[in-house]
Amino acid sequence: MKPVTVKWQRNLFIGTFIVPTFVFFCIFTIYPVVQALYYSLFDWSGMSENKTFIWFDNFKDMFRDPIVWRAVGNDYFLVAGKIVGIMILATFFAVALTRFNFKLAGFFRSIFFIPNVISVVVIGVLWNFIYNPQIGFLNAFLSLFTKEKVDIAWLGFTSHTIWMLLPPAIWAGIGFYMILIIAAIQNIPASFYEASELEGAGQWHQFRTITVPLVWEQLKVSIINIMMTTLNGSFVIVWIMTEGGPDNSTQVMGSYLYQMAFRQYHFGFAAAIGVLILVLSLITTIVLQRLLHQETVELS
Amino acid sequence: MALNRKTAALGIAAMVALMPLAGCGSSNNDNAGGASGSSSPSPSASASPSESASASPSESASASPSASQTKLTGDFEIQYFVGGYGDKWWKKVIADFKAANPDLNVIEDGGPKINDQNKPRWIGGNPPDFVYIDGPNLNDRQMVEDGQLEDLTEWLQTATNIDGDKILDILAQAPQQYDGKIYNIPLVLNSWGIFWDKALFKEKGWTEPANFDEFLQASDKIKADGITPFIHTGKYPYYINGAFLYPAIVSNNNDDYTILQDMAANKIDAYKSPAVLAALNQIVQLRDKGFIDKASIQINHTDSQMLFLQHKDAFIPNGLWLPNEMAKDVPQGFDFGFIPSITQKAGGKVVANTSTATVAIAKKAKNKEAAKAFLQFIFSKAQASQWAELSGAPSNIKGDISNSNAPNFVKDAAKYLTDPNTVVIPTITFNADVDKAMQDATDALTINKITPEEWVKRVTDVVAKVQK
Amino acid sequence: MKAGIRNPVVKIIFYAILVLWGLSVLYPLLWTLLDALKDNEQFLLHSPWALPDMPLLWSNFSYVWNKYNFNQYFLNSIVVTGGSTLLGLLLSASTAYVLARYRFKGSNALYLLYISSMMVPFILALIPLFFLMNSLHLINTAIGLIFVYASSVLAFGIFVLVGFFKSLPKELEEASIMDGASHYGTFFRVMLPLSQPGLVTVAIVNVLNIWNEYIVGTILINDPKHYTLPVEIGIMQAEMQYRTEWGPLFAALMVTIVPVLVIYILFQRKIASGITAGAVK
Repeated sequence: MKPVTVKWQRNLFIGTFIVPTFVFFCIFTIYPVVQALYYSLFDWSGMSENKTFIWFDNFKDMFRDPIVWRAVGNDYFLVAGKIVGIMILATFFAVALTRFNFKLAGFFRSIFFIPNVISVVVIGVLWNFIYNPQIGFLNAFLSLFTKEKVDIAWLGFTSHTIWMLLPPAIWAGIGFYMILIIAAIQNIPASFYEASELEGAGQWHQFRTITVPLVWEQLKVSIINIMMTTLNGSFVIVWIMTEGGPDNSTQVMGSYLYQMAFRQYHFGFAAAIGVLILVLSLITTIVLQRLLHQETVELS
Repeated sequence: MALNRKTAALGIAAMVALMPLAGCGSSNNDNAGGASGSSSPSPSASASPSESASASPSESASASPSASQTKLTGDFEIQYFVGGYGDKWWKKVIADFKAANPDLNVIEDGGPKINDQNKPRWIGGNPPDFVYIDGPNLNDRQMVEDGQLEDLTEWLQTATNIDGDKILDILAQAPQQYDGKIYNIPLVLNSWGIFWDKALFKEKGWTEPANFDEFLQASDKIKADGITPFIHTGKYPYYINGAFLYPAIVSNNNDDYTILQDMAANKIDAYKSPAVLAALNQIVQLRDKGFIDKASIQINHTDSQMLFLQHKDAFIPNGLWLPNEMAKDVPQGFDFGFIPSITQKAGGKVVANTSTATVAIAKKAKNKEAAKAFLQFIFSKAQASQWAELSGAPSNIKGDISNSNAPNFVKDAAKYLTDPNTVVIPTITFNADVDKAMQDATDALTINKITPEEWVKRVTDVVAKVQK
Repeated sequence: MKAGIRNPVVKIIFYAILVLWGLSVLYPLLWTLLDALKDNEQFLLHSPWALPDMPLLWSNFSYVWNKYNFNQYFLNSIVVTGGSTLLGLLLSASTAYVLARYRFKGSNALYLLYISSMMVPFILALIPLFFLMNSLHLINTAIGLIFVYASSVLAFGIFVLVGFFKSLPKELEEASIMDGASHYGTFFRVMLPLSQPGLVTVAIVNVLNIWNEYIVGTILINDPKHYTLPVEIGIMQAEMQYRTEWGPLFAALMVTIVPVLVIYILFQRKIASGITAGAVK
């Protein structure tokens, strides 16, 4: 074969394997997103035929809107809370179910993953019933220990209501990360632990010197993933449970985007919020990568 | 990193919630009636659909071809939201209309989520021909501003219904005007107000209130008897705004409702009026006396209504669709007491804040002829009483329904709205941003997060922004 | 081998934590079932953990089942999920293979483009997406939904599979080329079968996601004939919550949870190993 034909064949192969996917991706993903970004420069209701090009006015408005800042704060609260809550519990469960020789470990593992296969609507409806002040589970439970009937409106505090959305988010998220970390732990050669045991190291010591450093990559991926999915997707549980209320105290960027686009008819402004989410996700990813990278070095 | 998409898409999947729960969050006063109505196709109203219905529609049916001189053909698509008023009337009237126009292919787009489902078609410039504007996520003011609706101003000047009556003359409440133009016609006329259970009041020896002082006195007693006096729908604060705050503003403004119209027209001075502050302070009184059920802030309308029906709370601000909406959950012996407003002084007039649901023709309708003929068809006396019977709500067509089979509370409502001593506020749609700001602020006020002055400040800030 | 926990107190505490968490997961399911058998009165008057009164209201289930055409929705969901998973797999595997094994101008940029698209907030694209599908006449079609879903899972598939292909020894391909196989032959006959664990990972994660996807379905499908299961659940959920049909609402939730749960129980090993296979590489 001539080299030219070989090269041509190679290129043809690359082309046929790259181009269809890329075209598909451009049409159904890139194009709508780019168009949405473009809309962020317009004053547009989303329904009207008239769009007014207003440069960056949507962004200016956005930075002046106190609700946007509250939403950003709530988002990062959820990011931080979920990272701490999910990572601690998921890591604990993963270690407990692999290293502690518990009976029924397999059973627990199966059970713990269940929330991840349940649709988020169902989760939202369930937790709404748990928090319901009159017929809810939580108040009824607390009332067992008090003289008077407890009537706390769990989703109606004057501030910090966002705290109440953390438990369902953690509850629903743990199983997945637990499975990941379990797999990582199981990949660690048993000899590492055996050697350490011969030296008389306890579980805690093993955890610190063997488990954490060797599953660090998965922990890191989990943390970054929790961050990204929270910024992009946490509004779902928010919307199901509180619609951002009362008085915007549980608003996150995504729910505010939805509110603005589909309830208050400011599609351009909503698109600008979308851009904000995108930018913050990127920045936070980079920052987290840096932070977590340094720690790896320290530990190993 | 495999999880990445997993959770991300789980998130997307989760948006399940968005639309359904969007259910009642309509930030639009006008829609509130329907939104709240997004509940039960109540069985009670439908007890005897056939009797009185059978006579009239067939007559009107035969009359219709003459009204629309040309024969109607082609496709004709109707979008109607199905909420608390149910869809029995729509099914019936469409069947009648079909019978009158056998060559017309009528397509029904009905359902509790139709507003969301059809929204893309409105955006995409391919809307149905005819739309019933009710329920969440459909704001008439916005549709007008977006140029989605056909200008009916001229047509209505002469349009008559199939009985030959001029449509504008037979409407109880005139269509809302946008810069002097008419785009949608009110079909349903309803009122906000305060409910209680007469039977419970009798049993406990409480006095049914007729003004604010009596309301406070009754609430004191109720509270002393261990029942929470007042519950509202905090998740959707347009209930307390519509049934309590707006009538209160009018009462405090010497029964002059133009203040609300000025507010809707984004005039800042109207918001700064002492009447607004006085009305807000009435809410503060309820709050500070501990009359407001703490559960209110986080619950939706059906939950709050349920608690009210179970006598956990004595009063609830709501709309006249309530008895119908909750029909199957009303306990034995429950007897609805109702007053359109409770914030007036002793001897003051009752203020009824109306809530309408309207119908309109899409600007991009493909069969405007049929749509207009359908308007002429539904705005008839026969269909009005049929509406009252099948939907359990007063129609916007004048006429005595006391002899019809409509349920009693519908007749009561009609009585209130035609009483000369009642101040009837025509339905007002606020700008969506302002409306949302008022809802949020009222919620904040009820949980002692802000003062009435801060309420005004917040809302006027938004109004100033909207004005630009 | 494994030492386990030596201190019995610590061991008991740890066990207690596991059991508590297990209960917190299982109890809501049980609760859903019990509540599905209650009427509104029982919701209001009895404590939330009270058992339903006799006779059990199984009628809530038949009510839900008769009112909604579940068979159709299951079928639609299977078609859409299956179709988009396969299409997504084909498109991402082909590109992932090239990106993992061939260097060409822009290959890095392309990879980064796919990966970074995972960070884009999806709701942003909804309205433009609708316009697009509208002009392509793909509204209200299963194929339209399949295209969008397949496209939405590309980035993830490429991400996992590039890693997977890279982990496979190069010698295999070289041998295959030596034997005179074309690039295509090498891919389909050698590499694809070898990458089966990676493909399974991607497929499982995608199936779970697409099966539960709601928002795109609602926007692109408004004809009840074509509803997928989640779209129908959304509608059902909205209707029932606003009709204060608490019992039927829980029955409906149960009806939708059970099939997923059965699938999970049957395939849990595969699912767990599927998720991790990609992630651990």
